[in-house]
Amino acid sequence: MRVPSFSCGARALAGTMLAGLCLGGVAHADDAANWREIETKYIFGFTTGSGIGIEGEKEVTVDTIGRFGKRDGRYNATETKYEFEFTPSQFVQIEFGALGSTHDIRNVTDLDDRRQLAFGGGFGEFRYLALERTSNNPLSVTLAFEPTVRLVDETSGEQVHNYEFETTLNADLELVRNRLFAGFNLLYEPEYTHTLLDETIRETKLGVSAALSFRVTPNVVIGGEVWYLRHYDDFALSAFTGDAVMLGPTLYVRFTPKMFMTAAWNTQVWGREVGTPFSLNLAEFQRNRAKLKFAVEF
Amino acid sequence: MYVLTTTRTLALAALCTAMLPLSTASAQQATEIQISYSNGQFQPREVRAPADKPVVFRVRNLDGKAMEFESTSLRVEKVVAAKSQGVINVRALKAGRYEFYDDFNEKARGALVVE
Repeated sequence: MRVPSFSCGARALAGTMLAGLCLGGVAHADDAANWREIETKYIFGFTTGSGIGIEGEKEVTVDTIGRFGKRDGRYNATETKYEFEFTPSQFVQIEFGALGSTHDIRNVTDLDDRRQLAFGGGFGEFRYLALERTSNNPLSVTLAFEPTVRLVDETSGEQVHNYEFETTLNADLELVRNRLFAGFNLLYEPEYTHTLLDETIRETKLGVSAALSFRVTPNVVIGGEVWYLRHYDDFALSAFTGDAVMLGPTLYVRFTPKMFMTAAWNTQVWGREVGTPFSLNLAEFQRNRAKLKFAVEF
Repeated sequence: MYVLTTTRTLALAALCTAMLPLSTASAQQATEIQISYSNGQFQPREVRAPADKPVVFRVRNLDGKAMEFESTSLRVEKVVAAKSQGVINVRALKAGRYEFYDDFNEKARGALVVE
């Protein structure tokens, strides 16, 4: 089994986090109360914070999610969002963009061998800030709706027509002012796929996550997150097929007031597939996933 | 057909809900706050406003270079050119302390206290 991407990726992220901690030591004498407030949307890794940006602000981002490892063979797939986001009011954020995908699959059960780079489709996102944080209320909550159309199947790389409607609740809590934040997501993601063989597939992913992020310096935030994901072969959540727990570190670095990056690594630590004796769920989920995002605001 | 009508009704309701805080805010009398910016500092550094009313900042930049009035918690930003004035409209706010700063100058900080 080839798992170098796990060890390399995890080590690289751990190394960067260690460097962040060291920098944090240097900045320890700083009074965090005097730091500028931080936008929480991207500080929790795969877990999305409640931030919706600043009215009038625009942002261009490149956001890549990689998925690595199935039960056998070689499986590496990525999906990159080329995204434009803007905040037209103090309560609403809108995003849209195009998707690019890569698949490198060899000798994986139930998947065809494939090496391809493709235009993957497009997406839009509408975010509404339902509860805002103030100095007297540490909790902030945002509702997000993200319709996506894919021309390439996320998992197999096959040509399909796939329609997904991701609905999430993004909440975060400022535990220690300007320093320590907890993030929570609820996910409901139904999708409908029409294949070239004229098959139709209805499935739903349901998830919940919790994350903890510590701001070690004004511009570096490190943390960890855990996701519990369930998969169903219908929209009504009655045909349960399996679940998984994913766990890993997160990193956020702001390079300049208008430029930042965020990275995360999740490894499946527990999972089950209905009707099989396997210990992980590698049919519907992957062994590891990584996220790397760069953004420029203007 | 029924499903389509229901979906449209729900979408319209969601849009109206989303816009509600904005329409409510603009219908109320706004509190106007005058701030000047000179030698890389806000004057005054702390300003006050009543809760649950919209706020209008009038920021006069007296310096010879542009500044950007910005606040994460107020969720506003505005570049104010040298020797000019910028107007920033803020929604009705709950009681609390809201920090603002010049995004081009790390040391220029101020706060709005809503009570």
